[in-house]
Amino acid sequence: MMNPENLIFLPVALPLAGAAAAFCAKAWCTGSLAKITEYGGALIGLALPWAFLAAVLPVIATGGVVEGVIGRWYEGIGITFRFDGLSWLVMVLIYSVTTAAWIYSLGAGPRNASFSAVYLILVSALSATIMTTDVFNLFVCLEMAGITSYVLIASSGKPGAALASFSYLLISASSMVFFLLGVYGLYRLTGALSYEGIAQGLQSLPDGGGTAAVVSLALMIAAVSVRVAVMPVSGWLPDAHALAPHAVSAVLSGVLIKVPLFALARVMLLMPAGMQAGALIGYAGAFTALFGVILALSQKDAKRLLAYHSISQIGYVVSAWGAAVHVGVTTPAGAALMAASFLHGLYHAMFKGLLFLSIGTTVDRTGQRDVYQLRGAARILRSGGERIPVTCICFFIGALAISAIPPFNGYVSKTALSHVLSGSFHYYLLTAAGVGTAASFIKLSRIYWPQKQGGEHSAARGRTPASVYISQLFLGGLCIAGGISASAVFAMVVNLLSASGAPVPEVAFYSSANMLKALLTVAAGLILFLLTATKKGGALLTTIRTRPRGFQDLFISFSLAAAVLVIWML
Amino acid sequence: MIERILILLLMLTGLWSIISKRNIIKKIFGFTLLNNAVVMLFVLEGSRIGKSAPILEEGISQVVDPVPQALMLTAIVIGVCMTALALALAFYLYKASGSFDIRKIREAVHDES
Repeated sequence: MMNPENLIFLPVALPLAGAAAAFCAKAWCTGSLAKITEYGGALIGLALPWAFLAAVLPVIATGGVVEGVIGRWYEGIGITFRFDGLSWLVMVLIYSVTTAAWIYSLGAGPRNASFSAVYLILVSALSATIMTTDVFNLFVCLEMAGITSYVLIASSGKPGAALASFSYLLISASSMVFFLLGVYGLYRLTGALSYEGIAQGLQSLPDGGGTAAVVSLALMIAAVSVRVAVMPVSGWLPDAHALAPHAVSAVLSGVLIKVPLFALARVMLLMPAGMQAGALIGYAGAFTALFGVILALSQKDAKRLLAYHSISQIGYVVSAWGAAVHVGVTTPAGAALMAASFLHGLYHAMFKGLLFLSIGTTVDRTGQRDVYQLRGAARILRSGGERIPVTCICFFIGALAISAIPPFNGYVSKTALSHVLSGSFHYYLLTAAGVGTAASFIKLSRIYWPQKQGGEHSAARGRTPASVYISQLFLGGLCIAGGISASAVFAMVVNLLSASGAPVPEVAFYSSANMLKALLTVAAGLILFLLTATKKGGALLTTIRTRPRGFQDLFISFSLAAAVLVIWML
Repeated sequence: MIERILILLLMLTGLWSIISKRNIIKKIFGFTLLNNAVVMLFVLEGSRIGKSAPILEEGISQVVDPVPQALMLTAIVIGVCMTALALALAFYLYKASGSFDIRKIREAVHDES
């Protein structure tokens, strides 16, 4: 029973069991019994998987791969899960952010058993997404993660959130139909659904599947790109992430847009055309990083600004990820690129989760989301019972991390990205995006600056619950720990991702040249911020912010993206 | 061949309805059409190699490929869940804005936020 083949279902089964407990709490229990059942469910679903991750680490760290078929069906018929280094790393990402965000939701809401249940199903679906080894099961996992996220976005109860959820549902569900069409194409060609079966089937075909295989893969990549929010198919994200409850925003930005990306890598590596597509997606990622930050800089709603930064930061992740898929993850260069990409994904999940939680706390206390209006937030938070300015400190940890200032974790992952991408076309776009990031966080941090006049904001009554502080401090601690243990973490990620034991590239994280680059980036960011604060700069930002956005654009850009992918790969 | 063309037409009708209709209920209809067209495509694909239902008993040969049918049961369930959730959201938006027209809903929602 305790052999690893049976254990690997735990990260999927435990959150589902927790969700069942939370539903029972909703259906049959009242009063304190309901609370105990619900919290017990969350403990099963979010805390026990950590024990599992610790237990399998010795097996995984030595390059071991654990496979298991659900229900001990015959291989080829049953659903197979594979647990390897990438799965382990992505699960650390999933569980660190979802644990913190759930604790936050205890204090700041939405506080009910059905929220916990849906949330735990989302966690389970995400864990299954990264472990699955067949394309149809990948479709099911993505749809499960999708449907729970639509519910969670709408759970804030605002009509705007319902509209954002509806738009996201339509574009995402429709694009997943095209993913299914891609599955159909591959099944028709090869008669297989498992990754290995498809790869073997395509190899035995005379021209590797030809146009049909390329079109199928392009449809699947385009559909997953909608979830990952790579430009040009990212239009749904800002509304959904800005209007969701804060805890949900943290999970959506931190986890939900990254897990499908790393699961997609497994599919794309099946055929040579997929590796070709990696190059194109890498370029798209680099442009996403730059354009995302320009849009972020122009926003005035605090959470929408963070949401656009999620697009921009996923661009960083995608650019290195695409380059890694292009050269193949088994080569030393590919392993280093993939490691840097994952490291930024992981660290972004931590600092962006932290930023969403601390900004969420701030806008809840002050009742003001407009970056240009809100001032003196630190004082308002203090009047809410915050003796030690935890929220304020945590915000600055997150802001310094995302602006890549040492010794926080964002500096480490962006240095790793610059190291592996140095000299390429992506490098320059990402450096420019770094300047914009610094500028927009100078703009956002102004909400904490002391106020000159005594224009009072009406602070919300009551004290901020302790769970809000605990979750913020947890993520803040992770941000600092990730920055301090830079080399060790990077070496570990490279080792886990390359089973063949590729050499770990020497990255001098705290060299004076890299520190100087960080300093120069911030200085350039300050200049950019001062430029945007002028009258002309402000007018330009308003033009960018109020540009027309339509629902149709998303579908048109989805079709265009799929068409361009096909042409690129042929 | 004619079946494939009909399924393609069904898909395009669904896609056109999602993109161009302003009424969100019609958009949901479009999504259902799109989803069901792909389901039928899979089932059609499975029937290329046989005639009978895939129930293995004596005297039955030439069964269709059972894998697409098994997959499509799951896909149908997912499609129903999506439609149900979309309709629930549409009802909520109707209560909030008094209209099913996507433009009016957007205006009403922007006034409040």
